[in-house]
Amino acid sequence: MANDPVDILIVGAGASGAALAWSLSDTRMNILCLEQGGWMDPAQYPSTGAGWERRRFSDFSLSPNSRGRRDDYPINDSESPISVSNFNAVGGGTILYAGHFPRFHPSDFKVKTLDGVADDWPIDYTTLEPYYAQNDQMMGVAGLAGDPAYPPKEPPLPPVPLGKLGETLARGFNTLGWHWWPSDSAIATREHAGRARCINLGPCLTGCAQGAKGSTDVTYWPAAIRRGVALRTHCRVREITLGPDGMANGVLYHDAAGALQRQAAEVVVLACNGVGTPRLLLNSRSKQFPDGLANRNGLVGKNLMLHPYAMVSGSFPERLEGYKGPTGCMLISQEFYETDASRGFLRGYSFEGVRGDGPVSTAILSMAAGELPWGAEHHDSYEALFDRGASFVGICEDLPETHNCVTLDPELVDADGIPAPKIQYRLSENSEKMLAHAVARAEEVLGAAGATRTRVQAPLPPAGWHLMGTARMGTDPERSIVNEWGRCHDVSNLFIVDGSIFVTSAGVNPTNTIQALALYIADTMKQNLANLFD
Amino acid sequence: MHDEATLDDARLTTLAAVLDTIIPPSPERGLPGAGELGLAPSVSGEIERTPALAALIATGLARIEHAASTATGFAALEPEARERLLREDAATEAGFLRVLVPQTYVSYYEHPRVVEALGLEPRPPYPLGYSLEPGDPSLLDPVRQRPKLYRDC
Ligand SMILES: Cc1cc2nc3c(=O)[nH]c(=O)nc-3n(C[C@H](O)[C@H](O)[C@H](O)COP(=O)(O)OP(=O)(O)OC[C@H]3O[C@@H](n4cnc5c(N)ncnc54)[C@H](O)[C@@H]3O)c2cc1C
Repeated sequence: MANDPVDILIVGAGASGAALAWSLSDTRMNILCLEQGGWMDPAQYPSTGAGWERRRFSDFSLSPNSRGRRDDYPINDSESPISVSNFNAVGGGTILYAGHFPRFHPSDFKVKTLDGVADDWPIDYTTLEPYYAQNDQMMGVAGLAGDPAYPPKEPPLPPVPLGKLGETLARGFNTLGWHWWPSDSAIATREHAGRARCINLGPCLTGCAQGAKGSTDVTYWPAAIRRGVALRTHCRVREITLGPDGMANGVLYHDAAGALQRQAAEVVVLACNGVGTPRLLLNSRSKQFPDGLANRNGLVGKNLMLHPYAMVSGSFPERLEGYKGPTGCMLISQEFYETDASRGFLRGYSFEGVRGDGPVSTAILSMAAGELPWGAEHHDSYEALFDRGASFVGICEDLPETHNCVTLDPELVDADGIPAPKIQYRLSENSEKMLAHAVARAEEVLGAAGATRTRVQAPLPPAGWHLMGTARMGTDPERSIVNEWGRCHDVSNLFIVDGSIFVTSAGVNPTNTIQALALYIADTMKQNLANLFD
Repeated sequence: MHDEATLDDARLTTLAAVLDTIIPPSPERGLPGAGELGLAPSVSGEIERTPALAALIATGLARIEHAASTATGFAALEPEARERLLREDAATEAGFLRVLVPQTYVSYYEHPRVVEALGLEPRPPYPLGYSLEPGDPSLLDPVRQRPKLYRDC
């Protein structure tokens, strides 16, 4: 009976799939989600045992290519200066993410009108505002009202503590008179909806053993499953199948044993992220769609945006207790967010404060940066590095360019023999200038905060963790893949809700917006149930 | 692990001396050398998981013993002489240290004695966690004074 037809079939149980499943679950429709990964066991996360730091470089590496778990699929990112970081499990990328959770600005939806670049979104901030607020509740967002960089908002939980390191950086901003604010963070700073409060473990990027970080396996999924949604794990979708009427009628997937199965559905929703979704569409070829499903205009996989990161780390004379507390959640600065053409580039970036590392990571990362010699000078160098570092990442808005893309690799396949994705990506001149600006400003503020020297990585090589734009939203079927509520122009019962539908990337981490969009799309589907395919 | 690559006692002694050269003791900081900590068997064990690297280590150690060319071997050299010899070796055969150094760093900096000497409790972060100061709220006063930074649209 497992494969009886369902009303709604969601592919991917990450940030967006979970939010959509939960929202649709109040319709009492028959909803099934297929996820290629399994449930994670927080009791097995690295921070619970000896050798916890080394696992960051092996089975909890950011790159699917180095992790090589069966649940992962390989990605050829050799033609990109930025490699892809992701996670494949119930929770998707939120298992590893830092939980830095800013919203877009109102101007981010109007880039063409305001700045003459790329395209405006077909929706605006006001449309998404109630869904941001709903998502803040469900994910458990900590923060502080009153930020002058945003229209009024009320994070439901108190902010993540700054700690000594955060205070040090904040003083640097104040010296220069620059904006900063405690970050909106998907981290339960108090008990929230059955989740324990954050106890400042530190290594959020290898999973939160406390369950305080809002990964969707501990936020949306338990609630959606209680309301009747079925989630089938270790099911890797190979292709979406089409009926004679040109509508999607289900999927073919490999079960845990690798056997090919069929699942029929009335509606198919893709939530596989900005690389997984175009990969699946491109793998779904048919007579009607020889170049991949929903790809009549050839734009599936095009316009990949990654957010080039400028990482600038400062060394401070005193110890900062930087190994305590959520790695990437502390403060944000949006001094250079809105466009100022006199800077030599359009659009802008945020600074996210990043805490320090534990002893092993300090050694390995400093060695990689050429700062930690072996031999007689080792200890002097290490002493100047350990717990004396604090960093900023400048998250630069990436604009859509068709040559930045996801295609299928001609040779590489995953464990089930499904063609794997390849990404081709290069930095635009605008991004190069923005990165240089972010580096110079980060050095300035680190200096003002008391750093004695700085180290720069720009673009930061592993920072391909924001995957956007490869099945973009728009009202014009010639220039976009989905309409203003996520429905494919070419296949009217196929929806996309993950980061691939972004029109532009803004200069902030995307997940709050990805999920707000998924909630908005779910609501629009519910309001249009009677004529969903018209 | 691969039996054919497992190091014998003599090679483990050489490896311990190499590790002590990579991270020497620092008595004033209360830090032992990496070899003195007894890391040679675990470091070689980790490396031997990859057969190609196991061979690299075995041949590297043999080369260093040969270069030391004293009856008492590499381990008996003065620290400066050991470091000089290792640097000369790395100039021609970079692979040996490229594999050994990161593995030594990982094993050394997760060792409880080292962690304690760095002023940390020798335990994983979970379940005790850490406490963090909330921060001085008045730091935000100047930011609160600012007009709005976002564009209306
Ligand atoms: C190290 C790291 C740090 C990050 N930090 C932040 C941060 O601080 N703030 C922020 O906003 N974002 C952050 N992100 C990004 C964030 O994780 C993503 O934006 C978010 O998870 C994307 O949501 P999604 O729904 O688009 O896709 P995902 O969450 O990636 O979910 C996609 C799911 O689809 C599944 N899937 C894919 N293909 C198939 C298939 N063929 N069949 C079945 N299942 C499939 C995958 O296994 C995966 O579980 C970070 C990511 C990483 C890796």
